[in-house]
Amino acid sequence: MLNAQKYAVIVIGGGHAGTEAALASARMGVRTLLLTHNIETIGQMSCNPAIGGIGKGHLVKEIDALGGVMAHAADQGGIQFRTLNARKGPAVRATRAQTDRILFKAAILKQVQAQENLELFQQSVDDLIVEGETVKGVRTQMGMDIFADAVVLTVGTFLGGKIHIGLQNHQGGRAGDMPSIALAQRLRELPFHVARLKTGTPARIDARSIDYSKLQEQPGDTPTPVFSYLGSRADHPQQISCHITYTNPQTHDIIASGLDRSPMYSGEIEGIGPRYCPSIEDKIIRFADKDRHQIFVEPEGLNSYEIYPNGISTSLPFDVQYQFIRSIEGFEKAHITRPGYAIEYDFFDPKDLKPSLETKFIQGLYFAGQINGTTGYEEAAAQGLLAGANAALKIQEKEAWCPQRSEAYLGVLVDDLITNGTLEPYRMFTSRAEYRLLLREDNADMRLTEKGYELGLVSEQRWKAFSQKREAVEKEKQRFESLCIHPNMLSKEQEVALFDKPLSRAYHLSELLRRPNITYQMLVDLEAIGTEVRNPAVAEQVEIQFKYAGYIERQLLEIEKHKRNELTELAIDIDYQQVSGLSNEVRQKLSEHKPLSIGQASRISGVTPAAISLLLVYLKKQQLQSKVRQTNLETYGL
Amino acid sequence: MSNHTDTIAAVATPSGRGGVGIIRISGALVPEIAQSILGDCPKPRYAVHRLFKDADGNTLDDGIALYFPTPHSFTGEHVLELQGHGGQVVLDMLLKRCVELGACLAQPGEFSERAFINEKVDLAQAEAIADLIDSASEQAARSALRSLQGDFSKQINQLLHYLIELRVYVEAALDFPEEEVDFLADKAIIHRLEQIKAALKDIFAQAKQGSLLRDGMNLVIAGRPNAGKSSLLNALAGDEVAIVTDIAGTTRDTVKERINLAGMPLHIIDTAGLRDSDDVVEQIGIQRAWKAIETADLVLVLRDHSLENEHQDQYEHIAILERIPSHLPQLIVHNKIDKSGHAAGIFDSEIYLSAKQGTGIEALKTALQEQVGYQSNSESNFLARRRHIIALEATQAAVQEAETQLRIFNAGELMAEELKTAQYALGQITGRYTPDDLLGEIFSSFCIGK
Ligand SMILES: Nc1nc2c(ncn2[C@@H]2O[C@H](COP(=O)(O)OP(=O)(O)OP(=O)(O)O)[C@@H](O)[C@H]2O)c(=O)[nH]1
Ligand SMILES: [Mg+2]
Repeated sequence: MLNAQKYAVIVIGGGHAGTEAALASARMGVRTLLLTHNIETIGQMSCNPAIGGIGKGHLVKEIDALGGVMAHAADQGGIQFRTLNARKGPAVRATRAQTDRILFKAAILKQVQAQENLELFQQSVDDLIVEGETVKGVRTQMGMDIFADAVVLTVGTFLGGKIHIGLQNHQGGRAGDMPSIALAQRLRELPFHVARLKTGTPARIDARSIDYSKLQEQPGDTPTPVFSYLGSRADHPQQISCHITYTNPQTHDIIASGLDRSPMYSGEIEGIGPRYCPSIEDKIIRFADKDRHQIFVEPEGLNSYEIYPNGISTSLPFDVQYQFIRSIEGFEKAHITRPGYAIEYDFFDPKDLKPSLETKFIQGLYFAGQINGTTGYEEAAAQGLLAGANAALKIQEKEAWCPQRSEAYLGVLVDDLITNGTLEPYRMFTSRAEYRLLLREDNADMRLTEKGYELGLVSEQRWKAFSQKREAVEKEKQRFESLCIHPNMLSKEQEVALFDKPLSRAYHLSELLRRPNITYQMLVDLEAIGTEVRNPAVAEQVEIQFKYAGYIERQLLEIEKHKRNELTELAIDIDYQQVSGLSNEVRQKLSEHKPLSIGQASRISGVTPAAISLLLVYLKKQQLQSKVRQTNLETYGL
Repeated sequence: MSNHTDTIAAVATPSGRGGVGIIRISGALVPEIAQSILGDCPKPRYAVHRLFKDADGNTLDDGIALYFPTPHSFTGEHVLELQGHGGQVVLDMLLKRCVELGACLAQPGEFSERAFINEKVDLAQAEAIADLIDSASEQAARSALRSLQGDFSKQINQLLHYLIELRVYVEAALDFPEEEVDFLADKAIIHRLEQIKAALKDIFAQAKQGSLLRDGMNLVIAGRPNAGKSSLLNALAGDEVAIVTDIAGTTRDTVKERINLAGMPLHIIDTAGLRDSDDVVEQIGIQRAWKAIETADLVLVLRDHSLENEHQDQYEHIAILERIPSHLPQLIVHNKIDKSGHAAGIFDSEIYLSAKQGTGIEALKTALQEQVGYQSNSESNFLARRRHIIALEATQAAVQEAETQLRIFNAGELMAEELKTAQYALGQITGRYTPDDLLGEIFSSFCIGK
């Protein structure tokens, strides 16, 4: 029997969104129940065993800065770490970790089980209990009613899931698990807009059947990057390499010969797949002139014999999969352990959500993760954390927290989704962020940890570590702004070696650091300068903040410019027919999207600057009218 | 008071106030701008006489300056009004100076909008403002289009296309570093950057030669052969610049002459008489005449008044009027009144004169001054072009910086930032504000993804 029939928050689903949601709500001191159909699969990586990458790594750091578990689990389970874009500038640098599935999952489960205020229960959910327009709880498969004031739904691809291999298909949540058909049907009855998406995975291969001597080795970076702000290299298990191989013209011929039995091309699949993660059949059709495609051979774990051949996801019939895989260099004798497949699933149009991830139609009901049309563990986890935190805030009768696009990738993610929805599984990219230079991996803690602490998401331990770092950064920055290098302070040779020519006047360290070839390390290595900073993260912050200063200022100015628009709210029930001057197209767009702020309205495609002006005038008019009414009321008692 | 961080500037010349041109500036930067242009920030709400200076301290104009500090101003923000004597050109130079000092060119209806948002206008006026924003933005779009006809707009679109292509490369390099090719190291990037720089250079070169950057407005004289167009040009120029004969079809090529009208430079363009012709040379001349008309800031449609009652003349005159694009400002001028006996002057907004004897020329000049200097409220071609030049200069500066970031700092993401700025600036010319689907372009251009 459960410990209670009533919780403050119920989270449905034990994937990456669900666990972060449940943990966040519980960290905030709210009594939380995590319902999953299978406790064994909590924290499971259902696609490739890796965390991070461009844009995604940024999200992981933000989750970490807010006290979430994902970065920690990646440190515990990471078996190959790399920093992508290491030479391209701090804003686009991103951490990526190949992870051992078992270690990663264990780290998540451990945290979930250890979390205060959080209870776990294994039970499928068949129905939501809704009264009027408010959610009251859930009904489980065995007919048990559990009540709560807020429910977070994070059921991933399990809603109406349908798996395709060749022309055969069956219902399923992911290979080996059952889909949530009953719940999907129930949700389709509620006033949400439902559509279909598709995603795919490649076949898995037994590592012992691969000839590694033919593959190119790809070791991790040294020094090994670390994910969590509180983590260290000591957390990492043994490190191993990934490998790279390629398809060839023969592979492409085999694939082409099987296309008539591809569910994608026979029209069997109606859902839209991600353009940035095309199936191998897609690649050879759309880019027929390329005679090879890269495949990353990623180990599934230290104690696993399976590898994940990243780059050849497919829904071709198994016999075609078998043949084309064996045509690849190093895979000649490959033994396939699991076939690749495509999965179609329901998702809810995220335009039906508020920025808090609460649904617009049913109070207290939150959606997070793949059901909102995203893909990827990181996108799911980030939404989970936000939904969990906002569910808890609702219980605490506090205002929701909705990070802005200028504050976090989390803000970009949610705003993109709720403003314009999505046609394909949504993945984060840095090019989605207009304030990319501000939203870096290195400063996620600077941007978010204080807020997290304020909300109760961040532990005392993290807060203390962060405060120390922030203080050290400030101190060192001040020193760099006040300390000068005078002519003759260094030898002429030193000056020329560092600055190309002798110094003609005194320069502040901060000025010198802005020069292209000067690094923080070069300056503090000078005997006359030195430093007390021992934490490399502090040094990094100082360097980046000075080097980027001009651009940071520029983006801050941009943000300031748009602030008024972001803060000007639009009511959900505005009748856009009443706003004079708007074109019919704009009226229709606004009525359909129901933006919640002027800023959001301005990002709806097709809404012009003139339309925004007209909206502002309309709002002002409403405001003045109600003022007049108020005065009439007071003066004449009308 | 206001949350606006932008300072805006525009020419606010009310019609019917001949001889004065007004620049209005609103926003937080006003005191600084006043300091730079006037040498001080005038005492609030007093009309003071000042010299208006450019960046080098040269006088652009002299006139009256009025300063209204927030919140007691038309918009509720700091407002500065500069009332000068100069025509469009001087106004334009002043406006350019304001932009140099940090102001943006005001969007259509933006002053009124600010006034309303800051509760300086009452409720009854709200509808009017909505209408104003609506129609003014449409007008601005139309006038931008007008000044962007032909090759120029083709080139701008080409440039925009290059820019987007380059951004696709750069963004792909940043978001997909695990692909087989490093797009940033790719020669294609440098090649495309060079392409953009060349295109920009071309546009500026052309702009300088052509009408875009010229320091005056184009006034085209058009009409049937023998109407007296060349004679009118000579009369206005006070010199025999064009050949005059009584042979219909004398003028073949366009003839340009710069004159000065009350301090305002004007380019008067005499054209071949418009008619159906079998003569190849004349045909080319007539084509050129139409081209000149299309890029005019004002068209003088000239007619021989002594032929007023002739069917053929009436018919052809109407055909000409119908073919002149209706958005172009135009003035009907009746010539040869010495023959027809009509009185000289302005009647029903049409001019009656004799180019040969010089009667009525003064009336024409007066009319010109009004027309050219103070065309209603809508943005003239001339000022629309100022917008474009400012946008092009911003584009060029950003492209320059993008190159520096790539070559010197090897900083892809800063290059990307500059290119975004460049595209945004260019987008202000074409009116394409909506964000482009860069990711979509990336996916369709490259085979990307695992
Ligand atoms: N009586 C009189 N004759 C004029 C007047 N203006 C022009 N003419 C005569 O009209 C004839 C044609 O004048 P132009 O100035 O060459 O006419 P145009 O319109 O330039 O003719 P094309 O170049 O052939 O198209 C000449 O003989 C002029 O002397 C005028 O005001 N009065
Ligand atoms: Mg002539």
